[in-house]
Amino acid sequence: MLLDPAIRDWVLIPIMIVMVLVGVVRHQVTVLLNGTPKKADLKSARETKALQRCGLLRAHGVHIPEHAFHGRKAFLSEAFEKGTYLKETNTGNKPRGNVMQDPAYVETMMDGMKKNMMNIVPQTVIMGWINFFFSGFVLVKLPFPLTVRFKGMLQRGVETHDMDVSWVSSLSWYFLNLFGLQSVFTLILGSGHAADAMRDMQAMSTMGMGAAAGPNLSPTGQPQDMHKIFLAEKENLDLTEHEWGLENVETRLLVKYGKKPASVLLDQKKAKIAKLAGRQATKEFAAVAAPSAAAANASRKKGRRQV
Amino acid sequence: MVNAAKVLQDLRASAERKPDVVVRLGKPLIDSGAVLKLDADAWLVYEQVAIAALDMGDDALALKCIQALETKFPGSPRVRRLQGMQLEASGKLAEAGLIYKAILEEDETNVLASKRQVMLLRAMGLPSEAISALVKYLDINYTDFEGWLQLADLYLDELMYAQAAFCMEEVLMLQPQNHIFHLKYAEILYTQDNFQLALKQFCRVVELCRDHVRGLYGIKMCASRLLKAAPSKDAAAATSHEDLEAMDLLATERLIALYGAPGAAAESSKVAATKWIEIQ
Repeated sequence: MLLDPAIRDWVLIPIMIVMVLVGVVRHQVTVLLNGTPKKADLKSARETKALQRCGLLRAHGVHIPEHAFHGRKAFLSEAFEKGTYLKETNTGNKPRGNVMQDPAYVETMMDGMKKNMMNIVPQTVIMGWINFFFSGFVLVKLPFPLTVRFKGMLQRGVETHDMDVSWVSSLSWYFLNLFGLQSVFTLILGSGHAADAMRDMQAMSTMGMGAAAGPNLSPTGQPQDMHKIFLAEKENLDLTEHEWGLENVETRLLVKYGKKPASVLLDQKKAKIAKLAGRQATKEFAAVAAPSAAAANASRKKGRRQV
Repeated sequence: MVNAAKVLQDLRASAERKPDVVVRLGKPLIDSGAVLKLDADAWLVYEQVAIAALDMGDDALALKCIQALETKFPGSPRVRRLQGMQLEASGKLAEAGLIYKAILEEDETNVLASKRQVMLLRAMGLPSEAISALVKYLDINYTDFEGWLQLADLYLDELMYAQAAFCMEEVLMLQPQNHIFHLKYAEILYTQDNFQLALKQFCRVVELCRDHVRGLYGIKMCASRLLKAAPSKDAAAATSHEDLEAMDLLATERLIALYGAPGAAAESSKVAATKWIEIQ
């Protein structure tokens, strides 16, 4: 079997050129559509920073003395409870309205839609064009043999059983280009271009929401209730116990300069653990004692009521 | 030329403030036009050299850089902030303030402009306004340790030690590995007569930076004060008497050894230090 050279000049190369050009145009249009990045809002920045502040206090509270830690803990606990750092202070317990009326949310949705449209429209048009004019064309013969399994990949649109697998159909040539032109685009447009079809496909499969989501949108795209997050963080903070890093710094320094044997530090550690264990035991005892006391109280009340 | 660009890049990455080096390396780059070969980095170099030139008082160079940036990025808030800094350097504080205000009206989250505004208030001699502006800024940009340091300085100028100590605690949480910050906190505590806590902080300084002279002096002063004072009421938190004596001894020993090292200090300061240590 021989291929007409006109097929090479009028089908094979034009498909490739069209696909490259469409990719470049897509890149430019995406750049235009994206426009200026969305301006951050002072209040939402404050909201996220407050969470960060709490996290830092929990992680690095070791470095500040006892009184400083407890002062901050009390302050943050109260602030989180009251919602001082919330963007809108009064929405704390109000039922949330329709998300579609939230302009920020709609905007994110629109962004995702726009990106998807930019992906779908040109690809559909090119595929339609190839299907309409060149369906059933055989364009290339690969210079190497392949197994029958590749038939589906290389001869889409040409349903013959007997043709050798190394012949490539027009539709398959389109797909090969779609996935293979990535590095060509990188050459033309530099890295980080928007002509990449593969990336868009991935974006499409996750509905394009992952990357577009703002700071207070969850991965599913729903706005989160920050007050709840704050309350959860407050709980974390309440559970954090302060352990000061400088408790035994004098001993550590003396050991460092060789004035005391290193075993002193170890002894101190052991003593501390023993002390902690002791405190734990008393706490458990208290926990066991408390419910029984409460029960006794309740029964007393009941008794009074009956009287 | 490549080396100069590399050094400038390293300085940018580490955020070190070495205006003399930057101007010495950057000036020939900009004067010869070689900087444009760096592509996108060129504009970063322009910005870096502009700020360094302002630091060094080389107004002509700064103006040249800023004008180049202005033609490349007209109306950019980052360039306008540089123009504001240039106005500040030439003493036109009110005009610079107007520029920062305009930037913040467009984008209230602009960190650079709000920081400049605070410093402008300080330069104008309005410390209390500067403090309230900085407090407002830190309420949002909590993680900016430089801001907290600046606030601590402002409070120290006003002799408000408790507030300054609070700021230093925030700095310690953000940058716990820097012994200089521990030293500053320790000295504030010492000034507040909180010798027990100050001693621990001074110990931390010496622990982080071996043979830190100022830290050793701090230990010595705190230890001798605590030894002279009556034993404190809450004995649990306090350092034991033996430990205090050991600390005092250690600090004395290290200080004498440090000053005694050949070529470490001039003879007169050596004598003065030894005398002081003996008195304590």
